[in-house]
Amino acid sequence: MGSTVLTLNGCVGALSTVDPAGPAARTIATLWWVMLTGAIMIFALVVILVAASFRKRKGAIADRFWVLILGIAFPVTVLLALLGYGLFVGERLLQRQGADVVRVAAEGRQWDWQFSYDDLPGQTTAGVLHIPAGQPVDVAITSADVVHSFWVPRLAGKMDAIPGRVNVLRIEADTPGTFRGLSSEFSGRGYDNFTFDVVAHDAADWTLFLQGETE
Amino acid sequence: MTDVLRILIAPLVWLAAFSAVYGVHGVICGQGIETMPRALLVGAFILTIGLQVAVLAALYAPRFASPSPFVRFVSQATGWVGLVAAVWTLFPTTVTTYCM
Amino acid sequence: MNALQRHRKLDLVWASQPGFRGWFSSVNHTDLGRLFLVTAFFFFLIGGLLAMLIRTQLATPGSAFAGPEIYNQIFTMHGTIMMFLFAIPTFEGLAIYLLPKILGTRDLAFPRLTAYGYWCYVFGGAMLLASMVLGIAPDGGWFMYPPLTSSIYSPGINTDFWLIGITFVEISAIAAAVEITVTILKYRAPGMSLDKMPIFAWYALVTALMILTGFPPLILGSVLLELERAFGLPFFQADLGGDSLLWQHLFWLFGHPEVYIIFLPAAGVISTVLPVMCRTTLLGYGWIVAAAVALAFLSFGLWVHHMFTTGIPHMGLAFFSAASTLVAVPTGVQIFAWIGTMWKGRPELHLPMLHLLGFFVTFVIGGLTGVMVAVVPFDWQAHDTAFITAHLHYVLFGGFVFPMLAGIYYWLPHVTGRKRNFRLGELAFVLIFTGFHVTFLAMHWIGLMGQRRRISTYLPEDGWTTINLISSVGSFVIAIGFAIVILEVILNTASARRGGRNPWGAGTLEWAMSTPAPSYNFASLPHVTGRDPLTDDPKLPHALARGEGYLATPGRWRETLTVDIATGQPDFHVIYPGNTRLPILMAAVTGVFFLSLLLKFYWTVPVAVIGVAVLVWRWVWALGRTEDLPAQDIGHGIALPNAASVDRSPGWWGSLFLLTANATFFGSLLFGFAFLWTVAPGWPPPVWFTPSMAELALGIAGAGVSAVAVRMAIRTIRQGGQPMFAVGLGLVAVLILVAALGLLMLRAPSPDQHAYGATLLVLGGYGLFHACLTALMFAFLAARISRGFTSAARRAEFAIVRLWVDYLAIVGIFILLMAHLTGVTA
Repeated sequence: MGSTVLTLNGCVGALSTVDPAGPAARTIATLWWVMLTGAIMIFALVVILVAASFRKRKGAIADRFWVLILGIAFPVTVLLALLGYGLFVGERLLQRQGADVVRVAAEGRQWDWQFSYDDLPGQTTAGVLHIPAGQPVDVAITSADVVHSFWVPRLAGKMDAIPGRVNVLRIEADTPGTFRGLSSEFSGRGYDNFTFDVVAHDAADWTLFLQGETE
Repeated sequence: MTDVLRILIAPLVWLAAFSAVYGVHGVICGQGIETMPRALLVGAFILTIGLQVAVLAALYAPRFASPSPFVRFVSQATGWVGLVAAVWTLFPTTVTTYCM
Repeated sequence: MNALQRHRKLDLVWASQPGFRGWFSSVNHTDLGRLFLVTAFFFFLIGGLLAMLIRTQLATPGSAFAGPEIYNQIFTMHGTIMMFLFAIPTFEGLAIYLLPKILGTRDLAFPRLTAYGYWCYVFGGAMLLASMVLGIAPDGGWFMYPPLTSSIYSPGINTDFWLIGITFVEISAIAAAVEITVTILKYRAPGMSLDKMPIFAWYALVTALMILTGFPPLILGSVLLELERAFGLPFFQADLGGDSLLWQHLFWLFGHPEVYIIFLPAAGVISTVLPVMCRTTLLGYGWIVAAAVALAFLSFGLWVHHMFTTGIPHMGLAFFSAASTLVAVPTGVQIFAWIGTMWKGRPELHLPMLHLLGFFVTFVIGGLTGVMVAVVPFDWQAHDTAFITAHLHYVLFGGFVFPMLAGIYYWLPHVTGRKRNFRLGELAFVLIFTGFHVTFLAMHWIGLMGQRRRISTYLPEDGWTTINLISSVGSFVIAIGFAIVILEVILNTASARRGGRNPWGAGTLEWAMSTPAPSYNFASLPHVTGRDPLTDDPKLPHALARGEGYLATPGRWRETLTVDIATGQPDFHVIYPGNTRLPILMAAVTGVFFLSLLLKFYWTVPVAVIGVAVLVWRWVWALGRTEDLPAQDIGHGIALPNAASVDRSPGWWGSLFLLTANATFFGSLLFGFAFLWTVAPGWPPPVWFTPSMAELALGIAGAGVSAVAVRMAIRTIRQGGQPMFAVGLGLVAVLILVAALGLLMLRAPSPDQHAYGATLLVLGGYGLFHACLTALMFAFLAARISRGFTSAARRAEFAIVRLWVDYLAIVGIFILLMAHLTGVTA
């Protein structure tokens, strides 16, 4: 039923941030719908006020009401609430210690990704990242040349790949499947096609993968 | 010119303090400072609030007041901006994770 | 003398040379303001054309219209031209044209500087246009991130065009900012205290101060990146002690204030035009001033929100998320004050009002999506997608283009002196408004569906085709709308009937003169007692023309007066320079300097530098007198001393604000040093600077003695003496500092091997440049004294030199301490 609603709304897509397949993306998608609703209501308020100013007979409203109530008190309330919500979500998405966290690494360069695995030393895969489904995965992201960015929209937000630095992003896929990823920092001529895939395996397949199967 | 400075001083103090606290945060995480990092950051937050309160008090004090009621009004308004900004923009020192 | 005779005599003194030639020697703000606005609009059209090319390429998937190589140049130049060659110069042009008129004075503070700024803009802009025509335009995106833009990954000259060309254009912005600041503070009609200033002047003042402090970080970044590209100084290379994030910090330290620099003048236009459209006065004037100041300062604390995905820890991000949400409050205060103004008055749907309504709808949407991306987790999804492209166009088009269109229709009768007669204006508005939303509204959605910024094409499977096609159609509708606007402006300028003086019934002083504006603005200057002088006294224009104001007697010179900053009491008499080709000549020589750097003709660089120095010498020399001027009668029983006889002359204020920009540049350099040291990988450096207590002591002594010497000189000249000895002493002291800084540069350890040495080299070079400049100033003072241009009543230049000496002493000592102490502690 949920996916029907999504399809009808045109939300479904391999790169859609509003068709989440993991906890981080889902939290952010909810955040988006809440903000959109609030934004529409505030926009409507402003449009109504502007339109109403054209009427011939309006009540006399004190200067202080416009400035102190509408201009200060109202935005302060809304913004503080939003900020609190946003910081709370941000804290929740951090890559905190956990027993079942799987660690992988991603090195970007013009114009492909090399992925390596803590649990599979010495092996790398190009263009495809293998992860277990249902478990948090920390991706240690860096770059071999210019600034890139690791982004799998259906699973989580993005994290830049910066030469000389390693940035860690936590991603998790709810269920097994293949998820499209993009490098999302402009990197020159080959940027258009600079994409990759994330394959989330169920427990059995993941074990097989760790035993040396690299496709 | 003093009148112009009265109007600008509180937000200027906020900007300097905000940048300094962000800098302290950068040094703490960049240099891996392990001694009381949270206390340092919250201390800087409280110090900033103290500074802004002092500036605001000075703007209200008759001794430093401008002869112009307009300048008094605007500078007191920006004085409050400085204080509110200090509280609002630096309260994350108390509740967010600092080096992750 | 009747009004016509007065007009003729004034025009004789103030008019620019007729025809074409007049453009090259004009220092008149009305001429230059119009030139700025027309040139800026020309660049807007080019930027718009580039936008059409972008939309043509993106209309269909897999389009072969423009491959990545060309497309990358197209979108980079679209952003670069719109931000640097259209938006800022439009503000400059409007401020230059309007400020002296609304402030009730004759011209800006430094007329030749206005002209210099304009020609630097034209020559720098021409450089960038040339790069496009030759197919070697910058292609790294308008924010040009290294390492992509380093010489390894962008080996061509494209990137250098951006770094050098934009820095050239920025001279124009800094010059205008210095001038606007000094003009608003000092050049007003008598009686115009701070609380009676027109609201546009407050916004322009705040914007100018923001330019002075917001542009230097970018200038520094551009200098550092160009040094890296040309000489291998590794500021942004992680393996050699640099860090690509340093560029991002420096760029966005500029980049975020930049967008408020763009919005605030437009807000000034709204605050001016909206009340007139509603036949009332602005609600909450004082609140709006406070809100504008708050917005300006807060905007300097937002920059990391462009870097939310760079791996900065959550607390750091939280500071900027908090500030980015807070900034919506002063914005909201202004918006609701404007709506309150509409409620207070009786809004009428004239053409400017339509565009203001377009602003309300569009900017509020942009502000709301801005608050969304201020929330960090959401930005982690939206960053670098079409959502951001949509957001930025909503705030920039809504917050700048619509208000400026309102301003064009509002002030066009003033500029042309013709009746407004816009039959097609409503149609143009509907096309632009509808076209805009059709182009950009759904773009938010495809961003959320995964379409990134800056891609030249996409696949049919992506599912973005329909929205992209609709967006492209919308962009053509916008273009048609603008074509109609241009057509109407040209027709109106060329053929409409001559109109009345104040068609809108406004209260501000620009409508108290005949239109088009005479070369001298007002035949005599008004005494101001309220915020709407024309409403208070509708007969004011006639009174002024009849010579009932100040400075009513035309003389041999272009004269005006300055006022006390706070109270508006007249304080000094000022004599302006007349028409001269010195500004355009100096802009051309400055252009030779930048062109030599670009083309790597390093042997012409010192020639150009000397050329500029010689011209600057002539420039300042031209303002001298060999005899004291008595106090000048300005009318109404008041006589004012000439500005050259005081310590706080206009030139002093100009230097003060230029030094503010300079100090921000130096502060950014210090920030860069601290950032690399504490945060960049690859530290500590392999070799530290070898300290020398002798050099350090010598340098500090030189700095200290020069500061003492200039004070000695000031004391001597005040007492009527000729301070040759003190000036000579100062010159020698500065030359000692030159030696200490030169030695620092020579001994900086391997600048091309580690960012530490590179930074010391740049610090030393910065100090050295200022020391040489100050030495030149001492030499200038010596020449002035020996030729009889100085006396107790002609001493303004000494106070100005003192500012520069003090600045040099502080930074010189700072630089030497930093270099030698880091060597000691390490």
